[in-house]
Amino acid sequence: MPINVLAFAGSPRRGGNSETLLDWVLDPMKHEPDVQVEKIIVVDADINPCKGCNACEVLNYCVQKDGLVSIHDKIVAADIIIFASPIFCMGVSSQAKALIDRAQVFRSRKYVLKLPIVPPERKGKRLGVFLATAGQTWDRVFDGAVMSVKCFFHVIDIPDSDIHYLMIRGVDEKGAILSHKTAQKDAELLGKEMISTLRNRLEAVNRE
Amino acid sequence: MSVRVIGISGSPHRHGNTETLLDSFLDGARNSGGLVEKVILKELSYTACMGCNACHKTGRCIVKDEAPGLFEKIMAADCVAVASPIYSMGITAELKGLIDRTQFIWARKFILKNLYFPTEQIKRHKGIFISTAGLSWDNVFDAAFPIITAFFNTIGYEYYDNIIANDMDRFKGIRGHPTALTEAFEKGEKVVRVIEALKA
Repeated sequence: MPINVLAFAGSPRRGGNSETLLDWVLDPMKHEPDVQVEKIIVVDADINPCKGCNACEVLNYCVQKDGLVSIHDKIVAADIIIFASPIFCMGVSSQAKALIDRAQVFRSRKYVLKLPIVPPERKGKRLGVFLATAGQTWDRVFDGAVMSVKCFFHVIDIPDSDIHYLMIRGVDEKGAILSHKTAQKDAELLGKEMISTLRNRLEAVNRE
Repeated sequence: MSVRVIGISGSPHRHGNTETLLDSFLDGARNSGGLVEKVILKELSYTACMGCNACHKTGRCIVKDEAPGLFEKIMAADCVAVASPIYSMGITAELKGLIDRTQFIWARKFILKNLYFPTEQIKRHKGIFISTAGLSWDNVFDAAFPIITAFFNTIGYEYYDNIIANDMDRFKGIRGHPTALTEAFEKGEKVVRVIEALKA
């Protein structure tokens, strides 16, 4: 079984700092023969904001038929889910926030309908990664974004202990991250680590 | 001169908990003689910030829609109440989309340096955050506050107060909350009087 990696590039700017950081994480993954990587550009993925209708609490699906229909299935199928966003006004981009809010269907499934998000044999095996870049250098510039991103991972059944972070401050203009001292090395290392962690988990399952 | 109050409803719902709380605040402001206008974001035509940074050079947003007009209104007002329910520990994508569009104002202040709000002017402009959350958690508004702070800072408003109510799921909605609607009304009444005094 290949390892499925699903990556969301949450910036409206193509090829900017957060997407570059994401590409650095994905690069070593793509070189592995047993890994399939899909990158979704959130702004091109036709994701409307959540309407807050709460219909998913009864229906177990979202009434909005847009890009989230296929993304929903991909989220369920993925082993590693990577979420990348720039920080705008102390939060994730509004486009990335729309994706987070649309995960409400998973929240309803998990907490209201009390149904599984993934089949039992895959539960606890998945990993989440949050990548972010911010122009500001403030200590707390990522705090708000992390709270919302945690919600996203929790509702898709990835607990705190399985969420990994790489967040880079002080990169604003396009390309600024290219001159950052450690970002690329850390990102590539993170990509390799995620694959080896997941492989170990799957092998442990096979031995059982 | 009357105190101009703008209420911005960032909820995708009409007449839900958050908009009802905003209405109560605006009723209070009206009761004190404020000139009140309410904007429903989901009826406004605007897109999210594209992060193109063109405004860093020109001080203007290249996207032509209804957002810049709303910012003009906000800049001409005395009090702005922004309202959003909490979704996934943050404000709605609609309100975040509007706030991100203030980048051109930020660029004028900090990059082009052709816009400056004197402290006295900021003091006369009061920003209020109105929010409701289903969850009872004490920290449920914590991720929203820094975003709202950034918004008011950028537009030259003092972040004056919060009108927030959590635990909506237990109260079965804002009308079941013992104090929130009254608090909102009274704060609406009061802020208009405060601004009047500052303008006198």
